[in-house]
Amino acid sequence: MRHLKILEYALSSLFRRKYRNLSIVAVYALTIGILASILFLTHSLKTEATYLLHDAPELIVQKISAGRHDLIPSEYTEKISTIPGVGSAEPRYWGYYYDSLTHSNYTLIGIDDTIPGLSLLEGKMPSVSGECAVGAGVGHARIAGTGDTITLFNSKDTPVVFHIAGVFRSESNILTNDLIVMGEKDFLHFFELPAGRSTDITVSVNNPNEIATIAGKIKKLYPDTRPITKSEIIRTYDAVFNWRSGMMLTIFSSALIAFCILAWDKATGISAEEKHEIGILKAIGWDTADILELKFWEGIVISLTSLLVGLIAAFIHVFFLNAPILTPVIKGWSVLFPDFRLTPYIDIYQIFVLAFLTVTPYVASTIIPSWKTAITDPENVMRN
Amino acid sequence: MDSLIRTENVTKIYNPRKPDEIKALDDASLSIGKGEVVVLKGPSGSGKTTLLSLLGCMGRPTSGRIMVDGKDVAKLPERFLTLIRRKTFGFIFQQFNLIRNVSVLENVLLPLYPVETSFPDMQSRAEKILSDLNINNKMHMKVNRLSGGEQQRVAIARALINEPDIIIADEPTAHLDSKLSSDLLRILETLNSSGKTIVIATHDPFVYDHHFVKRIVEMKDGHIREIKLT
Repeated sequence: MRHLKILEYALSSLFRRKYRNLSIVAVYALTIGILASILFLTHSLKTEATYLLHDAPELIVQKISAGRHDLIPSEYTEKISTIPGVGSAEPRYWGYYYDSLTHSNYTLIGIDDTIPGLSLLEGKMPSVSGECAVGAGVGHARIAGTGDTITLFNSKDTPVVFHIAGVFRSESNILTNDLIVMGEKDFLHFFELPAGRSTDITVSVNNPNEIATIAGKIKKLYPDTRPITKSEIIRTYDAVFNWRSGMMLTIFSSALIAFCILAWDKATGISAEEKHEIGILKAIGWDTADILELKFWEGIVISLTSLLVGLIAAFIHVFFLNAPILTPVIKGWSVLFPDFRLTPYIDIYQIFVLAFLTVTPYVASTIIPSWKTAITDPENVMRN
Repeated sequence: MDSLIRTENVTKIYNPRKPDEIKALDDASLSIGKGEVVVLKGPSGSGKTTLLSLLGCMGRPTSGRIMVDGKDVAKLPERFLTLIRRKTFGFIFQQFNLIRNVSVLENVLLPLYPVETSFPDMQSRAEKILSDLNINNKMHMKVNRLSGGEQQRVAIARALINEPDIIIADEPTAHLDSKLSSDLLRILETLNSSGKTIVIATHDPFVYDHHFVKRIVEMKDGHIREIKLT
């Protein structure tokens, strides 16, 4: 009952200084909103990347020519598939297409079967020449759906018309958003690739513990190749997004520091009126602990309100508005993708860390100066 | 008469060993019995308010002893002083010292917030006191919208909410006209007749010449000069 009454008085006290407190909440929530946006965006992109790689092959082999990725001959596929421990080796056909109409980059894939992880489909997969299946982002950018046509320009700037047989729906939007899937022959024809060569080779390994060994054998067999394991790709994604989010956090740390200074100034700069009020409360029978509890509630209410507002704002900014402030830095070149909406993935641990790092200092900076006043004799406080 | 409050050779120095050191009280000894009405009389700067603060356990003396109900409070830890202030004293300040932008009712209830008392009980006690002081019709108004006399009555109500034995009043008529001063003294007289001990610091003749005042302690330059029985 006693705690409830002090909480009630804390709320009333906050309301009395509503303009000052609203300004603190606004700046506090903005800071938390920016930090939470970076964390939400990075975590979501990393989670999307994890989904993307879930069905990815354990090992990809690329041919390197003059330090650059080159088309790989078919005989490499045949030879790699005979290495002991290799389950299968399959050529893969893919490339990028810049759509000047929508200023977007699409990923084109040539298949003669299905792609693992892309089984959910509205309509059907392309089965005859001239058909394709597109990601939701491509369909949205070109305002086209199942049954419509899509025109792409090949390397000779000749228009090639494809009938959209299906539109991808996937658990991960980033996985299929920019995708155009077509028959292998259509793909080779569209990009005018030479026969007997593919973009890269996917390799399945019977024993996952032997992936590194198989990669070594391939490298020994074909020194002009680069075997890339799935775990290396995951590490690369993590490193890239961690680096970008780290850079953003570093930039915004100045905002955080500015906020801390403001919060400290606002919280520690107890006004004469507040000091006088503490003196009155002490004189009429409030204990130092009661004063500290009052200030604790004030700090908690302000900081939790700001945290909640900041988190909601960050959620809306990232998952509804597509993070227009942060996207160019965090996503990097991928902003050329057709617009896609991130699936909300939130790391509760990150939220707790953010809450701890923002709420605790604020509450402490509210309590400490009040404590100094509260332990002073009320006569001295009121006299001054 | 047994003394309820007693000071023995109390000295109070503000800002000791600093250029602006002030000796506000010098070797003051005084005894106040239960049910007495005592006025501390003297000009500004004579040490009345300092003595009143020390009697009310709102500060500590630099030297000397202050006995409240037989206990030396000068050396008690802060939490015990708080308990004594809460249970024994009701304060009426010169500037009223009400919390601005807060309702009359909430101001009166403030001393009960840290006490384990239910809301309905608190409310009924406050309403009764406000009604006795004839200000219950304004209990939901913000105190800063009240007149000086009304604010003084709110301050009295707040001083009485914990049912203290001793009322401490510092220049209670300083901001009141003669009619309101008369009303205030009538309230204090009623409280005294119900057994409360009352200590008032004032330099207003209207107060120390009042018939219900039984003792006058004259002060000057931090010294108690004379104690008169009226």
